[in-house]
Amino acid sequence: MEIIDKLYQKIPENNRIERIWILARTDFVLRYYGSSLGLLWAFLNPMFRILVYYFVFSYLVFKNRDSSFILYLFIGVITWMFFSQGTKKGMKALNSKRYLIENIQLNKLDIFYSSVITVSIGFCFNLFIYLLFSQFYHVQYNWHLLFAPLLIFNVILLIFGASLILSTLFIFFKDLDHVWDIVLLIGFWTVPIIWDQKFIFEYYSFMLYTTPITGILINFREIFIYGNPLHWDLFFYDYAYTIFVILFGYLFFKKFSPLAAQSK
Amino acid sequence: MIEKDHVIVLKNVSKTFSIRENKQNTIRSKIASFFGGSSMRKICAVKNVSLKVKKGEFLGIIGRNGSGKSTLIHLMTGAYPVDKGGFSLIKEKYMRLSLGMGFNQELTARQNIYVNASIMGLTFREIDDKFNEIVEFSELKNFVNTKIKFFSKGMKSRLSFAIAIHAKADIFLMDEFFGGVGDERFKSKANEVFKQSILEGRTIIHVSHGLGTIKQYCNRVVLMEEGKIYAIGPPEEVIPIYKELSKQKKVNSDINKS
Repeated sequence: MEIIDKLYQKIPENNRIERIWILARTDFVLRYYGSSLGLLWAFLNPMFRILVYYFVFSYLVFKNRDSSFILYLFIGVITWMFFSQGTKKGMKALNSKRYLIENIQLNKLDIFYSSVITVSIGFCFNLFIYLLFSQFYHVQYNWHLLFAPLLIFNVILLIFGASLILSTLFIFFKDLDHVWDIVLLIGFWTVPIIWDQKFIFEYYSFMLYTTPITGILINFREIFIYGNPLHWDLFFYDYAYTIFVILFGYLFFKKFSPLAAQSK
Repeated sequence: MIEKDHVIVLKNVSKTFSIRENKQNTIRSKIASFFGGSSMRKICAVKNVSLKVKKGEFLGIIGRNGSGKSTLIHLMTGAYPVDKGGFSLIKEKYMRLSLGMGFNQELTARQNIYVNASIMGLTFREIDDKFNEIVEFSELKNFVNTKIKFFSKGMKSRLSFAIAIHAKADIFLMDEFFGGVGDERFKSKANEVFKQSILEGRTIIHVSHGLGTIKQYCNRVVLMEEGKIYAIGPPEEVIPIYKELSKQKKVNSDINKS
């Protein structure tokens, strides 16, 4: 224990990083630990969604899809929830942390770092559950799994960029959350979360290029279900797309975010 | 000329707010006002203020309600952008001292201390060191692991004050900071510590209606009236002007009423 204490003393202190972390952690704790089931809620919601979709679609709609359909859904649903929760939270980040902007000296981006960290903790937890769950289906993992962090990081960056744009718009349009809910609903059914992604390659290949989430999902499934190598073309395209979103978002944010504190 | 020891500089600073009456900031209303002409009302909260604050100065800002005191503070820190043509600069690490930032009802006193103190610029290790001192000072030893939703108002404000005296910044801006902190005994204790720890070698901007504190501490006082600087100088000169002004306005409004 003494060694740990000594090592701890060696870590340089940094109030900025600590503040980002404690804000993220607090939001996460508040979201889940207030209730008696605690962290389980982070998982129960997606689990029930997955089960409902599974029974409806495998018995009623598609019939005889193979048994890995539940894994297919699992990856789709938790990734989509990651994106939708992250952007919804990010949209209101400036507004909900207004007291920071008004009172202390900080880089406004810190608010977004902490918001995206909060949702990432939940996603990593869900992904961990998936790794356990997939063992029942004898999924064989191989070295392609090493690329998973890069894919997760891509989603994180995408959420970050989208949050910059959305929260800046939210300064001017306080009903943006309703609009965004609709966009997310449309997204949920256009992105191959429930329906089979092979249709994309056959009929809707343009989908690969309009929404980066599509490509990320396909790559996620390759390594988490099928044990195949990544589609590198999609991988690089999605990263490029994301970086463009962040660049645009950053410029937009920089121009209008000074108005954040005064807009009521 | 900006001298080296000026830490806050405002030059021709104005602030105009556009306010939509009876309408909200929504997409629907934006579209409606685009087609139907806008019903924006412009309110000039601060007009052409120039001010320089030296390092180590204790500057008081007084004025009647709505005279633009709080807006001025926000313009100094840059929380609100200034109108075109103005210039606002703050050179050192600042903080608008406000009690209980980031406090959450669902967290325990311990957790709230960490969140709040971290926001106020303390590192985790510094908080570890000062933790007992904070708990001791706020007289909440038996409630460290209680969620603060069970706290009374007085307990909460004692706790937040006990943390705030450790805040780290070179410039403190205070907007009615002493608003009912605990009972009389705690108040005098708070005042004592406040003098020792906050005032020590710092630049302070203090907005208050409490003329007592203003008279006691300030080197210089700014009197705001309708968004402009009405008078500026040592407290013994400015406070009588303020009292005179308040009396005048009261007489005026009495005449208007009758």
